[in-house]
Parts: sequence; C-alpha cells; structure tokens
Amino acid sequence: MFRELNSNAAPPAGLRIVCALAIVGLTLALIAAVVVSGPAAPGLQAAVAAALPHSGVENPVTAVLLNFRSYDTLLEIAVLFVVAVATLPLRRAVAPQRTEAVAVEPVLAALVKLLVPLVVLTGGYLLWVGAYAPGGAFQAGALLAGAGVLLSLAGGFSLAALPARPLLVVGLVVFTAVAAAVGAITGAFLQYPVAAAGVLILVIEAAATVSIAATLLLLYGNLAEPVPSGPLAGTKEPAS
Amino acid sequence: MSGLSLPALLPWLVGLPLLAAAASFAGQRWVAGRWLNAVGAAAQLALAVLVLWLLAAGDSGLGQRYTLGGWGAPLGIDLYIDGFAGLMIAITAALGFVLSLYSCSYFTEPDQAARFWPLWWLLMVALNAVFLAADAFNIYVTLEILGLAAVALVALQGGRPALQAALRYLLVGLLGSLCYLLGVALLYRAYGTLDLAQLGQLVHAAPLSWAALGLITVGLLLKTALLPLHFWLPPAHANAPAPVSAALSALVVKASFYLLARFWLETLSAATTAQGLQVLGVLGAAAVLVGSIQAIRAQRLKLIVAYSTVAQLGYLFLLFPLFGRPSDTAGLGGAVVDAVAYFIIAHACAKAAMFLAAGNIQRAAGHDDISRLHGIARRQPLSLFAFAIAGASLIGLPPSGGFVAKWLLLNAAIDAGQWWWLITVIAGGLLAAVYVFRVLNLAFTDSAEQPPAAEAQPVLPRLLPLGAFALAIITVLLGFNALWVLEVLDIGVPPLQLAADGEAL
Repeated sequence: MFRELNSNAAPPAGLRIVCALAIVGLTLALIAAVVVSGPAAPGLQAAVAAALPHSGVENPVTAVLLNFRSYDTLLEIAVLFVVAVATLPLRRAVAPQRTEAVAVEPVLAALVKLLVPLVVLTGGYLLWVGAYAPGGAFQAGALLAGAGVLLSLAGGFSLAALPARPLLVVGLVVFTAVAAAVGAITGAFLQYPVAAAGVLILVIEAAATVSIAATLLLLYGNLAEPVPSGPLAGTKEPAS
Repeated sequence: MSGLSLPALLPWLVGLPLLAAAASFAGQRWVAGRWLNAVGAAAQLALAVLVLWLLAAGDSGLGQRYTLGGWGAPLGIDLYIDGFAGLMIAITAALGFVLSLYSCSYFTEPDQAARFWPLWWLLMVALNAVFLAADAFNIYVTLEILGLAAVALVALQGGRPALQAALRYLLVGLLGSLCYLLGVALLYRAYGTLDLAQLGQLVHAAPLSWAALGLITVGLLLKTALLPLHFWLPPAHANAPAPVSAALSALVVKASFYLLARFWLETLSAATTAQGLQVLGVLGAAAVLVGSIQAIRAQRLKLIVAYSTVAQLGYLFLLFPLFGRPSDTAGLGGAVVDAVAYFIIAHACAKAAMFLAAGNIQRAAGHDDISRLHGIARRQPLSLFAFAIAGASLIGLPPSGGFVAKWLLLNAAIDAGQWWWLITVIAGGLLAAVYVFRVLNLAFTDSAEQPPAAEAQPVLPRLLPLGAFALAIITVLLGFNALWVLEVLDIGVPPLQLAADGEAL
C-alpha cells in the first residue's frame, strides 16, 4: 500500500474483487442514507423566483448563473481559461500557415456554405434567447465552435489565421472588467445596477461565447492535428 | 469603519491575480517584461499585507463577510475572512512574491514562460478564492481551478516522468473533486443551502450528514495526500519545475487541508464523532512515520523533499484529535489551531526553501541523484546553506519556525491530555534529522572515485540561490516573531459567540 505505484500491471484479481465489493457496499449505503432521509429540503427555488424581477433576465437558470451566483460562473470561465493555456500548442513561430491542398468534396463545400451561416445564426439566437429561455453562452459557444470545425474540414479557413490569444481571453477580461466596473457604481463587486443588468449580462455572455468557442476549437485543433508544429487555433467571430 | 474598508478589498484578492493571468497571457508578446509579473506579485503581497493589517487593526475582532453581487447568502455567494484565512492569504502572497521573483530567472525558455505565468496567476486566484470561500459549491469551483492549474504546472516540466505524474495527479484530483461535489449535493438536498455558516447552524447528526461528511472528507483527503492516499504526491512534487514544486508542497496541499479543518471543526462539526477525529489523527501520525521512512530511503534529492511533505502533512492532522468536538459557539481558534496554523506557515517557508535549493542543485548538476551529489556544498554553497536551514526547521531545531511550531503542538497535546501524540512528534523530528543529515553528510564529503571538479557546471543566475536563501531566512525570522502571528490567528475566533454578545448590547 505504501509503495509507489509505478508499474502499469493490473492489480491482482482478489484486490479488484474486494474493491468492487467495497464500492457496491458504499453505493448501497449512500442510497440508503438518501432514502431514509425523507423528502429533500425546499431549496432555493422560492428565493430565486422572488429575486428574478431584479435580475435583468427572465430565465431563472441564466439569473442564477449570471447574476445570483455570477462569481461561480466567473471562476468557471477561469477554469476554461486554465484548459486553454494548458493545451495551447508549442511555438507558433515555427509553424507557417497550413497550405496543404485539401481535396474538398463539392457536396461538402455546398453543404458548408448552407450550414455555417445557419449555425452561426442559431448560435447568436441561443445567446440572445438565454435571457428568456434555455440557452446562453455555453450553448452558443459550442455551436460556433461546431461551425468552425465544419469550415476547417471543408478547407474554408485555416484555424491558424485568427488571433487565438485575444479570443481565448476576452471572456475572462470582459467578465472581470464588468464585475469591477459595476462594483465602482453600486458598491459591491458583481452587483449590476438593476436597470442595466440585462444588457450587462448579454455583454458578458457574448464575450464568454467567443472564448468558449475558441477554447473548444483549440481543443479540436490539437486533437485533430497533434503535430508539434501545430498552429494555434482560431475561431470565427460571432455574428452578434 | 473608516475610509479604507476591509471587506471591499476582498474581491481584489481574487480579481487582481485574475487580471494578471489574463494580462500575462494576452500581452506577453509585446510586453517584453516577465518582470512585470514580479511587480504584480508585489502588488498582491501589498494587498494581502493591507488586508491582514486591517484585519488585525479592526476593533471588532470579528471575521468579515463580503456579499458578492449584493444578494447575500443563501441566494448569492459571500466571501469570509478571519484570522486563519487571513494568515493563509498572507503566506500565499508572501511565498507567491518570492517564488515569482525566482521564476523570473528560472523560466528562461520563452515557450515555458509563456505558459507558466498565466497558470501561475490562476493558481494564485484559486488559492485566494479557496481561503476566502464561504459557500460549499463555490469551493468546488475553486478546487477545479486549483487542481487543473497545478496539474498543468507539473506538466510544464515535460518529459515522461513529469507527464505521467501529472496525469495521475489529474485523475486523482478529479476523483477528489467529484467526491466533494457529491457530498455538497447531499448537503443541499438535506438542508437547502450552500452557505457554510448557514449549514453550520442547520447540520445535525443524520445518515445524510454522515454520508456528505464522508464524501467530502475522502475527496479532500485525496487532494491533501494524507496517507494512505498520498501515492500521487511524491512523483508529482518531485518531477515538477522547482518553483512549482515549492508552491504545490507549501500551499496547494494546505488549501485542501484548510477546507478539511473548516468542514470538520466548523460547518459539519455536528455530524462528526470523537472516533472520527481520532482516526484522522492516527492517519496523520502514520503519515509522519511512513513519509519520513520513505524520505530516508529515497534516492533522488527532490523525492526526499517530496516524501518529507507527506510526513509533514501528517503533523497537521493532529489538529483533529487535539481540537476535539467543538461546542456550538466555538469558531476555529484556540491553542491547537494556533499551533497547526503556525505549523502550516513554518512548513510552507521551509519546504519552499528546500524545493528551491534542491531545484538549484538539480539544475547546476544536471541531475538530483543522491549517490552522485558528493561535495555539492563546494559548488552550491548558498543553496546548500538554505537547504540546511530549512532542514533544521523541518527537524524542529531552535530558533527556526519549525521549532516553535512543534513546541506549540507538544504543548497542545499535553493540554489536551493526549500525551501519546508526543511520541509521533518527537519520532518524526528524529527521522527528519536522518534524511536531512543524510543529504548534508554527502554534500560535504568528496566521493572516493569521483573527483569533485571533474564536470564543468553551468553558473546559475544569482537570483536562484538567493531566492532559496531568502525563504530560509524567513523561516528563521518566523521563529523570532511567533507572538505576532499567533495574535492575528485569534481574530474572529468565536464569531458566533461574539456576534451574540454584540446583539445583546
């Protein structure tokens, strides 16, 4: 137990059986604890509903994420940023832009021409509708990244062509800047003036959308082309 | 409160390093100065000192809350600072400053530096956010930043051993986070709030509370690397770049320990049992012995220092049996918490000094294989001096901070009537002496078969040995200024009790 586990050999069967039994036992105990504890506590739904009119949005999920618990979301954007920094490929100087000729299927090219504007439009819609219904920065960013992947597959644009660093960081910078700026006005970090809350949330979400899309594209670019000289990922500007 | 209000500064402890992370990432190509990072670290240190000073000067003697977004718990998220949190933030900023200066000289390769600085600042964000956190789910998010940034910093070293260690660290960290998150979900189901202070009032002994406590404890123990969950720590800490090793051992593992102390002794204390507290203490005592013995047997210098961390973390867990089950109104304070918090600070300085010294020796010699480090004292006198002072603190020799820490711990054990922990503390000191003197002994002797000056060694930048030396000096200075540190610790000690008194007036 106290040795360093440096071997990659599988543990003996007996140990695995003991572990499996222990996990099953603990899971059953956990389920039993939940069952005997009776109904769940009322939670905070009532508090959210009461404060919703002052949140600047009508969708309670967005209100929680971007207003009531916006500090958590700010730190979540920082988590994404950690991922972006950690997976950033080495050295862009060595890598010229990718110019290998990709034989693009005419059908794919036509499809992409049709699809990408629609996907970008849908991304923008999701970003906007987040204030009223399910939607928001994460969904919009994922769609934008999907559009970028489609485009790069069809050879439509090079992931290396766009300035990756500003795009990856803009979400964090805008969010922190807004948090501090509203703090100077209202007196509390992250406390939006009620009248401007809706607009500010949209601004933060738009910036976060860009960074989320850029981070996803960066991950895709790395996974798709793990060459050491791989260029940085870029992204398409959102159509907002 | 006068013009300069303490709570208003708290968000900047998170916001400042956050902006520094973004700036060092976006601007590193046109801002040629990695030294700006040192300026940022100096600003963070100034901010932390200001916070600590305001906290100590505050006439109320209370912990301070800050309401983010103006909503207030339970709907919104609060920040909370008391003496314990303030000291952790101060030691983070102080070590952060010295390690930042050191890193300016250490990371000379542009690619590595470009990645190091944003991750480094994010690590600072996470540490400050953990210490200020007053919300159970918020802690999960801060732990995510902390874990991912730490893993990425280990991976910065490159090479197979570091990447392997980083991957294992990542998987262990994720498992720990998920356990913690499940525990928090159970707490929310049972009590309907995530605010730590409110939970502290509501929690009672029930199966669901025990399940949540168990999951949170396992998750945080994984991250703190308490024996027998320490297996990931030695390779990760031994293979990271020197300033990263220093920060990981000095600060990152302490963050999850800090949370364990908050949960066991404050928030979930109603669900704890005396037996559970004793078990944590026994595991800590076992960690002291096993970690020290492994350090004695290790063949690499940095591995010795890493196993020493496993051992020293064990002492911290004596907090739980010695503190005992708190009464309803008690906060995190008193002689035992003083002793352990002081231990954290003394160990943080000594261990950071030791890792920097070991890193210097490794960089100069091109390896850190103990058997080939004969006569290193002649070639790296300042680094070895720093190593020796830090080692003296780990052993607990006066006048170092480590001596005061162990003295306080021994006193606390006697006061609590649990004399058997004395054996652990004394045996751990003797074992530490064995592994420290093993290194020093080699360093001052010449090998028979290998002439000392045979290999030409690169000259290190002046700042590298100086950084290690500065931390070693701080370790000694701590020994002389123990009283001041202990006074700060008592701020906000029984916050509930004091608040009750205030209302009665």
